[in-house]
Amino acid sequence: MNRRQFFKTTGGVTLLSCSGMTSLLMDLYAFGGKANLSQVEARYYKKLPEREIECLLCPRFCKLGDKERGYCGVRENIGGKYYTLVYGKVCTINIDPIEKKPFFHFLPRTNALSIATAGCNVNCKFCQNWEISQVRPEQVEHKDFPPSMVVETAQRYACPSIAYTYTEPVIFFEYMYDTSKEAHKKQVRNTVVTGGHINPEPLQDLVKVVDAIKIDLKAFSEQFYADYVRGELQPVLEAIKIVAKSGIWLEIVYLVIPSLNDDVREIRRMCQWLLEEIGPEVPVHFSRFHPMYLVKNLPPTPVSTLERAHRVAQEEGLHYVYIGNVPGHKAESTFCPKCKRVVIKRVGYHIQNVELEGGKCRFCNHPIPGIWS
Amino acid sequence: MKASKVVIVRGRGVLSPRREVDQKKLLQMYEQGFRVLTGQPDLGEGFRSLFQDRDRIGIKINTIAGRELTSLPEVTLGLANLLAGRGSLNKNIIIWDRTNRELKGSGYSLDSRQGIKIFGTDTEGVGYNPTLVSHLNIGSRFSSIQAQHITASISFAILKDHGLAGVTAGMKNYFGAIHNPNKYHDFNCNPFVAELFDTNHIKDKHKLSILDCLVVQYHRGPSFHSRWAEYYNGLLFSFDPVAADIIGWQIIEKLRAKQGLPSLKEENREPEYLFTAAKMGLGIAEVEKIQTIEEEV
Repeated sequence: MNRRQFFKTTGGVTLLSCSGMTSLLMDLYAFGGKANLSQVEARYYKKLPEREIECLLCPRFCKLGDKERGYCGVRENIGGKYYTLVYGKVCTINIDPIEKKPFFHFLPRTNALSIATAGCNVNCKFCQNWEISQVRPEQVEHKDFPPSMVVETAQRYACPSIAYTYTEPVIFFEYMYDTSKEAHKKQVRNTVVTGGHINPEPLQDLVKVVDAIKIDLKAFSEQFYADYVRGELQPVLEAIKIVAKSGIWLEIVYLVIPSLNDDVREIRRMCQWLLEEIGPEVPVHFSRFHPMYLVKNLPPTPVSTLERAHRVAQEEGLHYVYIGNVPGHKAESTFCPKCKRVVIKRVGYHIQNVELEGGKCRFCNHPIPGIWS
Repeated sequence: MKASKVVIVRGRGVLSPRREVDQKKLLQMYEQGFRVLTGQPDLGEGFRSLFQDRDRIGIKINTIAGRELTSLPEVTLGLANLLAGRGSLNKNIIIWDRTNRELKGSGYSLDSRQGIKIFGTDTEGVGYNPTLVSHLNIGSRFSSIQAQHITASISFAILKDHGLAGVTAGMKNYFGAIHNPNKYHDFNCNPFVAELFDTNHIKDKHKLSILDCLVVQYHRGPSFHSRWAEYYNGLLFSFDPVAADIIGWQIIEKLRAKQGLPSLKEENREPEYLFTAAKMGLGIAEVEKIQTIEEEV
């Protein structure tokens, strides 16, 4: 990867804002090639007769014969044992503002060391990162980045958290889990950006070692999940409930795609469900879609559509509703639900002002939920 | 599309119990297969009806199951040499699959300085075409070998039972021509196998299906299980990709019935994608409309 490609991939603005990091990150980008995959035994699978296995990690429950890979493309049955091929094999490393994930109520104004391996357990037709998520690990350059090195790197670059992101962290579960445990030993926190397509048992284990999870709720209809995600809605809703119950921090993103999932009744039902199952304080981000991957026949989401969704969510009683991917929009900021004043003023990923003291609104003392320090 | 004729040539003893190939018999099987399929007594004439002089011919094999259940190098090279000897230059024939690791693991030598080329898509400088092809439910990048290197394609697939697809044969073999086949195994691979075949990169180049039925895995595929692998000693030829696989499926069903195994329908894994392919006009799926000719050498 040359310097130009590097900046294109990582977003030069982000990196340049982290002065002094650029050249060091370039060192990290001495990627090691494509052929060198890991062979670490996977967790959450069951051995079947005749060297077959059943994967129990996600709701697909892939049944695989010898030498076959799961839907994710990164877990393989080798002689009746199941292996992850991407343990410690990152295809992307960046230092991002935590707001980019987006987490708006989690350590604002800090950076997260953000990593991903190749692969994904769904196939969203509008995927923004399909060139790394919808490929097999041997099809992209990757680097050996064992858990201890991830944590050391986060510390070296003053990142208080690690973000497992870009592709679908569920598919590199073992690597994420071990890295998270290692990180906690060094007081580094862990955040997960996921579609939530994971079975309850591994998720119950994961929430014990991470600090925040952002779930992409891609629609509120099974039909949409079948047609555009190649997944199911119900397991995602179960995952949201498990995360909320666990007590770790949770935020929700809903990418609003014109004509596909922007029906106001659907959005209202989704908000009602969140209110009933999770409560009014979970932050919900309505993000703007841009044509990508297999959905290039639609325009970017009109801002008015996002504002309508925002209004519906507020009408239903959600307290922290945001509009994403529209830099400069006032709904990027956090408003105190009691006094209605701006308590965190954002422009894009940049935070202009924080009016919180001890996690409370500085103007009216109303507690604002989140992990603030 | 030419008539839906399927030719099965059996050669008793072509493969020894130790999987050694009787080259003479193999050649006879190829020659007989091509003569009956093309209707041309002269092989050269037959090949000329299939390929242009300048064609670069790809022989797409399936090496995923390893040495025990992959077309033997002697078998595919036997075909390549036959084509080379009848007009196609050595340098214009490529035997290929996804990865060099799988090719080597199946006994293929990648040293092709002598003529016929053997290499995987992951060869440095080859890779997958950067253009994403979006067609019906397919969104994939194609191997540059399929998209650019070759102008004519032979799907040379080993006939196997498949736990998800029901049957894997000539059409599904092209899953190895794209970067993300793992995304197309839902719903018994239906309609994905048919829709992938319907893309220009495949439909416009595919000339011939040859199914390697020397050893047929009729149960618990696509992995190798000797208990359910039959030395069938056959090669199946057809211009019609759907008809070829339909008849291949029948072979599997007969072998299963012989062993008292339930049919694929009873196991809810009929290769429905073949009927989808027929509806899309890619070939004939009705057995009564397929002319099946069985030969013995």
